[in-house]
Amino acid sequence: MKILKIPKQNLDLFVAVLPAFGEVYAPVRRGKGFAFDRPALWSDVQMSYPRTILPPKKFLLPPREATFAFNPREGYRDLLEEAAKPIVLFGVHAYDIFGLNILDRVFSQGKYVDPYYAARRRNTAIVGVAFEPDDKHFAYSMNADFVDSGFDLFLSDIGEDYLVLVGTSRGDDMVLMSGCLLREPTEADFAEYKRRSSLRRSAYRIRLELGELPEILEMEYHSKVWEEMGERCLSCGSCSAVCPTCYCFDINDELELAPGTGSRIRSWDSCLFKTHALVAGGENFRSSRASRIKFRYYHKQRGFVAEYGRPSCVGCGRCATTCPAKIDIVTVIETIRGERNESSSSVTATA
Amino acid sequence: MSESKTVLIIDDDRDFVTAIESLLQCSGYQVRSAFSGREGLHLARTLRPDLILLDVMMTERTEGFFMLQEARRIPELSQTPVIVISSIYADQPIFRVSPEAGWLPANLFLPKPVDPARLLAEVRRLTEVACPEISHATAGRSES
Repeated sequence: MKILKIPKQNLDLFVAVLPAFGEVYAPVRRGKGFAFDRPALWSDVQMSYPRTILPPKKFLLPPREATFAFNPREGYRDLLEEAAKPIVLFGVHAYDIFGLNILDRVFSQGKYVDPYYAARRRNTAIVGVAFEPDDKHFAYSMNADFVDSGFDLFLSDIGEDYLVLVGTSRGDDMVLMSGCLLREPTEADFAEYKRRSSLRRSAYRIRLELGELPEILEMEYHSKVWEEMGERCLSCGSCSAVCPTCYCFDINDELELAPGTGSRIRSWDSCLFKTHALVAGGENFRSSRASRIKFRYYHKQRGFVAEYGRPSCVGCGRCATTCPAKIDIVTVIETIRGERNESSSSVTATA
Repeated sequence: MSESKTVLIIDDDRDFVTAIESLLQCSGYQVRSAFSGREGLHLARTLRPDLILLDVMMTERTEGFFMLQEARRIPELSQTPVIVISSIYADQPIFRVSPEAGWLPANLFLPKPVDPARLLAEVRRLTEVACPEISHATAGRSES
């Protein structure tokens, strides 16, 4: 892997030439939070932010998309081309890149390739940036605080400069395009990189033990914790919406007034919604809130491990910061593991 | 037919704006001016000019680049001819990325200080063509 550095003071010039690779989206302020959006000025770009409200999955698996249109005269018209617009995601944290790598396994590396996701992923350049963990991050525990693939460039703060890891040939093209803005790093730069990486790891305030968790979940299938959580959960689906790896979607045909004319719409769904397991005939396999929230935990921490060898959680902390009922995944797992007393308050965030 | 053409100048250097305004008005153009990228973008959307003369280094040194990218996303401005006039290559020697490298969606890049006769000729050329080509691959000629 090629390693370079760029002075912080020249990063604005570097970002100015990135549109050669697609429309640039970067973390910008949105109300009290942050969101990936188009910066109107370089000063809009936030290089240091805790987390965005929505993860970058919104670009690859949009909340709502038309997959194809149909009418009796033309038949089906695939809208794949519209999905393939090149974009650059600048300033993505490692756990979010890890989340995209997990989505890759589901949508573009499995038996069935989703052409819409795959086209977007192919046409999305990613420039990552290292982050400082706050009191909700536990990416280190999920082994998602560092990525060695899934990005084109990755920037790490080393003081006056950013150390730049070049991850792909497209990343190399970005370096070539930017002329003399990037330079060779020195031994002192590498030492500073290692020093800051170590500090970053030690800055995590949450250490979550994941060993034997699938087995423990199996043992705790009938735990009263799930009923307690069901009492608290509002089934709003916020945790799914902000999760970098939740990928459930629904399909509907939207019809126009002309007969046989319309489009097929894919939109985000959530296993917390009451209709998620509702099937024809009115049977609902998960009609209670407790069963739905339990399903979410079992899918992420147990089912995904069986299927893909690791949990689908990346430790970004979005679900804990977003949940209106203050249900905190870390507290839930610690309770299930018997590391906390089971009580009605045990599954909520303490902060 | 240049009498009816409207040129929007976006530049924070008021002396430069005044000088170019005079030059263009004497040549029969209607001229409007803005002194920042944000103001310029707002004016461009409402004015729908026939040509934009755009500075780069304003409040921020890449302001014009960001403004131009945003303008190209707006359907009514996506094809508007733009001449970028900037001293960025002289002021920022580290920045050696040629406009011809395909990242700058402008019709032409002219370095400051600009030759008035050359500028006027390019303004005439770009306002007289019904729909001048904007090439991301070769974003106009540059002069060193």
